[in-house]
Amino acid sequence: MAILSLSQQVLALAWWLALGVSVLIYIALDGADLGAGIFSLFVRDHDERGAIMTAMAGTWDANETWLIVAGGILFGTFPFVYGSAFSYLMVPLAFVLWGIIARAIALEFRHLASPFWQRFSDGVFGLGSLTVTFFGGVCVGAVLQGYPQTDVEGRVPTYVGGAFTFLSPFSVWVGVASVVAVTLAGVLFVRARFEKGEPIRIDAAKWTMTIFYLAIAAVGITTLWSALIFPWAADKWFGAHFWIWGLLFVASVFAIARMRRATLDERDLAAILWFNTAAVIMGFGMLATMFPYLVPGTWTIFDAASPQVSILTFTMTMGGFVPVMILYNAYQIWVFRARVTKLAAHAH
Amino acid sequence: MSTTDLSTLISRIDFAWITTFHILYPPLTIGLAMLLFFAEWRWMRSDDEGWYRLCRFFERLFIVNFGAGVATGVTMEMAFGILYGPFSQAAGPFFGQILGYETITAFMYEAGFIGLMIFGWGRIGRRMHLFATANVAISSALSAMWILDANSWMQSPAGVELKNGVFQVVDWSKAIFNPHFMSAFPHMLIACVELSLAFVAAVAAWFVFKRRHVALFQRPLKLSILALIVVAALQVWVGDELGQVTAETQPAALAAMEGHYDTYNADGSANTSWNVVGWPNEAGDGNAWSIQIPHVLSLLETHSWSEPVPGLNEFPQDEQPPVAPTFYSFRLMVAVGGVLLLLGLWGGWLAVRGKLSIDRIADNRWFLKAVMAAGVLPYLAVWTGWWTREIARQPWVVYGLMRTEDGVSQMSPELAIFWFVGFAVFETAVFFGTLYFMAKICRKGPDLDTPVAAFDPHDNDGATPATHPEGRGASDRHGDGHHDAPSHA
Ligand code: HDD
Ligand code: HEM
Ligand code: HEM
Repeated sequence: MAILSLSQQVLALAWWLALGVSVLIYIALDGADLGAGIFSLFVRDHDERGAIMTAMAGTWDANETWLIVAGGILFGTFPFVYGSAFSYLMVPLAFVLWGIIARAIALEFRHLASPFWQRFSDGVFGLGSLTVTFFGGVCVGAVLQGYPQTDVEGRVPTYVGGAFTFLSPFSVWVGVASVVAVTLAGVLFVRARFEKGEPIRIDAAKWTMTIFYLAIAAVGITTLWSALIFPWAADKWFGAHFWIWGLLFVASVFAIARMRRATLDERDLAAILWFNTAAVIMGFGMLATMFPYLVPGTWTIFDAASPQVSILTFTMTMGGFVPVMILYNAYQIWVFRARVTKLAAHAH
Repeated sequence: MSTTDLSTLISRIDFAWITTFHILYPPLTIGLAMLLFFAEWRWMRSDDEGWYRLCRFFERLFIVNFGAGVATGVTMEMAFGILYGPFSQAAGPFFGQILGYETITAFMYEAGFIGLMIFGWGRIGRRMHLFATANVAISSALSAMWILDANSWMQSPAGVELKNGVFQVVDWSKAIFNPHFMSAFPHMLIACVELSLAFVAAVAAWFVFKRRHVALFQRPLKLSILALIVVAALQVWVGDELGQVTAETQPAALAAMEGHYDTYNADGSANTSWNVVGWPNEAGDGNAWSIQIPHVLSLLETHSWSEPVPGLNEFPQDEQPPVAPTFYSFRLMVAVGGVLLLLGLWGGWLAVRGKLSIDRIADNRWFLKAVMAAGVLPYLAVWTGWWTREIARQPWVVYGLMRTEDGVSQMSPELAIFWFVGFAVFETAVFFGTLYFMAKICRKGPDLDTPVAAFDPHDNDGATPATHPEGRGASDRHGDGHHDAPSHA
């Protein structure tokens, strides 16, 4: 809708990449926290559940901030998508938000609560993590489907569908698939964060392979399903440049294989990094597949960009602020890197 | 009422509800971070353990508050798009951009340090820790700046042009330094400090009142009360400035805040009367009753004896904001401002007569009671201040340019209610949880036994210090009798 100059188009692309990177970092970092939360639903030992929360106490807020950053970029640079997609996703987003509130509270208040309320807050934490993951996945699936909008000359298109337009077998499936994938991230996180001899770590290790194969199945089904129902995906994947997608596919299979190897060898950090590598390759593959659309069939990157994108603001944020902040965030993760024990459950 | 009117109304109440519940926490985060920085800095300079104990104690309250702020804040950012889709699209190029900066330059910034500040004791050096605390204070104040900027632009939308249904920025510096921002941000920042001073004073007064740790809490009590004299006075002054800006940029809003209907009296002279209290009449074109003081209105708004101030009847009925809520919210806020100043002066007078010394402070029973009660007042002022601001802007969402009903997302009443009920439940739970845990922390009192967190560079592999806060004994991470920094109080 907006007419952008060439340099603005380049900037819109750059912001689009920044958006994609934030979402992927969010998935990589908070995915582990969410997954550990889902895993905690199956942990019977009270102190072990507490220790899971302790393991993320110093970093969960920073991790979650990447979601806020993605929201900020969306609102700042792609306001037309922000305003319409969020109306479309109102119901699943409400659940995501309630899940986030519940988790934050459980995490921050647990150590102060009496044992009864701790048990309650553990449940809230686990269910909150599950809710965020499932409905977050539903949102992704729903966005891939696109949504109906008004079409009035000279006006910004706004969302016109109902509250439940987002609901389809596909979007629900993506929700399920993300629960599986995120649980894998969580299990890997638990393995990496606990002392080697801890029972909880041994449990997590037992889970790994089952979840691993489930996750592969989930990703495979999602990809096939997308190819079947989304012409924009099938056209690219099986079109003239099929070899690019083939290479991406091979690369992700390689990363997944390395991840499996690393878990078998008990190299926990390597396993997480390979997992994230696979997620990043697939994430970028998906973004590239959607290109030039931000929301397939609904908003292209260029239509959606604010007519106000400017080189100045982009350079300021991406050249100055963001790198510095990433350094500080990394330092924080470094300070809190050591493995914990179940006894750490009360520390705060 | 048609169903769209109904769902518009509910969406507005929804939004009002979530902002109202969010704004409870950030001011304390911002102000208390500054005060924590002060205490920690004193500790660094003087090595006086009392400052350290105070830091650790108030930090525990800070954490609870912070968690609640995050939980309710994440909602806020999404809520614009969900409840105000068309507004977000139209205002996105400026408003969204500003909020986008906020997330990057404030939240991300804050998030990079908050973990270090809360969990870093003994794991990073003292200087690094102080640096982290300073950055938490700066970044949270920065977030207030951006948010107030975005909101102020809605009050006085400068530097934009409405093209194809989108606000396009034609002059960035005008838009960013819009008239409201220049007063509203200082006003908000001072509110944060004022609120935190009153909060710290109230908590400290409670301990002194109970004669627990009097020597420890005499210090923050006395200092905050004395600081309050300056800060509260400053707030009255900046508040007045803000009132002038509102008078210039939003005359209808100001008229509603003052319940002022007629610019001129029946005899043609300017109507300069200020309503102390009153109530609008049925027809909405005057007050059914009111108590008035002549000339005060002109004095307040124009700083002159009898200049006219435009009344509500100058504006078409459908451009008038509701009078009763703005009128009374505004008065409540101003009253709080006055009471806090008086409280500060009372404390100053006691201090001058030496009654706030460690051995005598606990005897000022009435004063201590007043300080404890005054803890809630700034919260009330923050609420009523925002209600005044937001309701007096009506019926506009972007003053003079976009009406609220054009900015709100179209949804069914059922859906709007679904949202509202969900957030009402969650945020009420957060609120009572926060209160409960803060009370619990206070009942338990400061921890004076755990050794001061010491940083040992040779054992800084980043372990989570495995300490029971209840003092059930420090547990041992390595199992070799070597104790980690037992820092968690
Ligand atoms: C006076 C300052 C102020 C005001 C008026 C608001 N906030 Fe706020 N907000 C903060 C000051 C703040 C803060 C102090 O920076 C918080 C509290 C706890 C925290 O993490 O940051 C916060 C938390 C917070 C978070 C969570 C950040 C995180 O995960 O760390 C979000 C997304 C928002 N806010 C968004 C908003 C929006 C969209 C507002 C517009 C109405 C708003 N806030 C009003
Ligand atoms: C940057 C900060 C804020 C922005 C951008 C903002 C924006 C808005 C918007 C878009 C509306 C909808 C218009 C309407 O229905 O009135 C609104 C309404 C409202 N907001 Fe805010 N708001 C902000 C902060 C706050 C805060 C902190 C509070 C309260 C503590 C608050 C209280 C309200 C209330 C009470 C209404 C309802 C007014 C009415 O509908 O009559 N706002 N605000
Ligand atoms: C006697 C002193 C005070 C005066 C004259 C005053 C004046 C004002 C005015 C004119 C507004 C703006 C309304 C609008 O924009 O339409 C406002 C808003 C506000 N006030 Fe005050 N105020 C005073 C005291 C306080 C105190 C003590 C607090 C809190 C501790 C406070 C917190 C706020 C807040 C949070 C807002 C909304 C945000 C903003 O506009 O900055 N005020 N005040």
